[in-house]
Amino acid sequence: MTNVSQPPRADDRAVVLSVKDLVTTFDTDAGRLTAVDGVSFTVQRGHTLGLVGESGCGKSVTACSIMRLLPQPMGKIAGGQILFDGHDLATASPEHLLKVRGGQIGMIFQEPMTALNPVHTIGRQLSEVFLLHTTRDRREALARSAEILGKVGIPSPEIRLGEYPHQLSGGMRQRVVIAMALACKPALIIADEPTTALDVTIQAQILDLMRELQREMGMAILLITHDLGVIAEMCDDVAVMYAGRIAEAGPVEQIFATPRHPYTRGLLDSIPRLSTPRKTRLATIEGMVPALADMPQGCRYQNRCPHRIPLCANLPKEEIASDSTRVSCHRWRELAADIEQPRAAL
Amino acid sequence: MALNPLTLRKLRRFRSIKSGYWSFLILAGLVVLSLGGELLVNNRPLVIRYEGRWFFPTYGANLPGTTFGYDYGYETDYRALAARFHAETAEAKTRTDAPPTARSRNWLVMPLVPFNPNENAAYEGVFKPAPPSWAGGPPGHWLGTDTTGRDIFARLFYGFRITILFALGFTALTYLIGIAVGCLMGYYGGVFDLIVQRAIEIWSNIPFLYIVIILFSVVPATFSIPMRITLLLLVMVLFSWTSMTYYMRTATYREKARDYTAAAVVLGAGPGRIIFYHILPNTISTLVTFMPFTIASAITAVTALDFLGFGLPPPSPSIGELLKQGTQSLTTAPWIVGSAFAALVSILILVTFIGEALREAFDPKKFTTYQ
Repeated sequence: MTNVSQPPRADDRAVVLSVKDLVTTFDTDAGRLTAVDGVSFTVQRGHTLGLVGESGCGKSVTACSIMRLLPQPMGKIAGGQILFDGHDLATASPEHLLKVRGGQIGMIFQEPMTALNPVHTIGRQLSEVFLLHTTRDRREALARSAEILGKVGIPSPEIRLGEYPHQLSGGMRQRVVIAMALACKPALIIADEPTTALDVTIQAQILDLMRELQREMGMAILLITHDLGVIAEMCDDVAVMYAGRIAEAGPVEQIFATPRHPYTRGLLDSIPRLSTPRKTRLATIEGMVPALADMPQGCRYQNRCPHRIPLCANLPKEEIASDSTRVSCHRWRELAADIEQPRAAL
Repeated sequence: MALNPLTLRKLRRFRSIKSGYWSFLILAGLVVLSLGGELLVNNRPLVIRYEGRWFFPTYGANLPGTTFGYDYGYETDYRALAARFHAETAEAKTRTDAPPTARSRNWLVMPLVPFNPNENAAYEGVFKPAPPSWAGGPPGHWLGTDTTGRDIFARLFYGFRITILFALGFTALTYLIGIAVGCLMGYYGGVFDLIVQRAIEIWSNIPFLYIVIILFSVVPATFSIPMRITLLLLVMVLFSWTSMTYYMRTATYREKARDYTAAAVVLGAGPGRIIFYHILPNTISTLVTFMPFTIASAITAVTALDFLGFGLPPPSPSIGELLKQGTQSLTTAPWIVGSAFAALVSILILVTFIGEALREAFDPKKFTTYQ
């Protein structure tokens, strides 16, 4: 079983997933809300892209759009393309989706407590993935399940196969969820806040495990998180999302060293550092994310932005800075000049 | 298949509730006994030894009287045959040279209750209710006979069998349809849910009793009794499955919003697999607790229909029909209504005890009380 199912075009070889101008809307009682508004990014083979932002900024909706997991009939992909393996997932047929899901794209959920079905054993749930995609033989599926459980660092996997989710600890369950996502050696893993529900030591273990498995199996990871620490540790590239749009995207080192967008800067400033003097107030971003129903025209960050000018009422164009990061801000050039020296990486 | 430890715990809890557990054992025992009822309550012997030949008439063909030396061609009166064999033995013993063990070469073994539920036994030449044997009635009729001289015990016994099988079939079918439709409504939701719900509301407002009365007044007389019973079952199911959908619909709505359903979608499972493999097992455990109460209400319903005369077609033995007879001859034959009433109440008590124990065993709150 190989994970290489890329289109043969030479220029695109390294790109596993390419999202172009994705627009996802929800029909609610308050009218049509645009949760994701023109998001574009690419994920390279074997690389990790971090998608970071506050709660409600559209990170998870983006992930669900890629998987076509939007709640029906409210959620809808209203525009854009999700190119994976030469197909546009935004318009793919249900039959094609059944093949892609689990087989070529795996997904790791935030809550390991609820992502496993309480009435089936670990073995039955894991072997289901194999039965759906690779084999028809139950025995073989169980053997492979044991193998993958061992791979995600679960001791005595044969015994665990017969156990139920409630008999495992949270960290163990998350390992099982990872095993299910990895079972068919997908080209891409979407991890939606995989460590948020775990305590800090387990978080570190799970992140280590994911990195190790990535090295071993070479899959790309789309990591969704609100934790900049996790981004710094795990990702090659990062896209900072704010209110359904990408504020800034680029290689992790560049973004952390020279944040150009005021929002990225605000986020980085609100992390307490060892170097900050003790007993000072933590820096915060003033205000709240406006509700989707009353988004301001133009730049969506303008209400909270300390550098706001009248021009911000117009939609900023996405511009590519010298170090290949993409910024959506009218004033990034002059603001960048303000940065006296590059920050030390986290 | 190994059972989920949670299910095992529920079963253990069910066993620890004595009233329900014993009711279950008794009822299960009765059902098993009644399935082989022909061996216990029947006017055909279990085995006959006649002139060196063996006969096992219980499940076999009709043996005419000529087989055993009678001059009639209709089915042998085995109770008379038993009396004849008995007399032969007595005669053998009276011979002067007979050893003390002497007996007739012919013998037969009658079932415990040697009466058929549809057989009219006339004592004193007319068909009329005979009182129970312990109250001065003819011997053998433990609970007496009904207005046409049929043994009440036999009728109750077979009435129990047909009622309980009817109730089980009814429950199985209503659950099957109700669960399937409710699940689909909950899973697909939206316009489909809306339309089916309205359809169900309209459907469940059709008066059931009128339909039964009308239907059985137009059913041709050529329909056999099993066909009529099946028809009644279908009509009852058709008007009862709707209540199950309400529960299943909401339960499915709840379960499909859980992460594991999304996880299953993400693994590439199709709708059928998600409904039947992932959602259904999570919703079904609570349905089990409803089941005994559905059975109890089915028994009541079929008894009520029998009482009104729209139930099981005559001459099927049934408790409701006995109750009807009994109330009509309350002063002349009070034993009819007495035994039918006692039987109905006992069955309902057993089923209700089982239901209560099941409900208690499945009650999640029981596991979260602190001292």
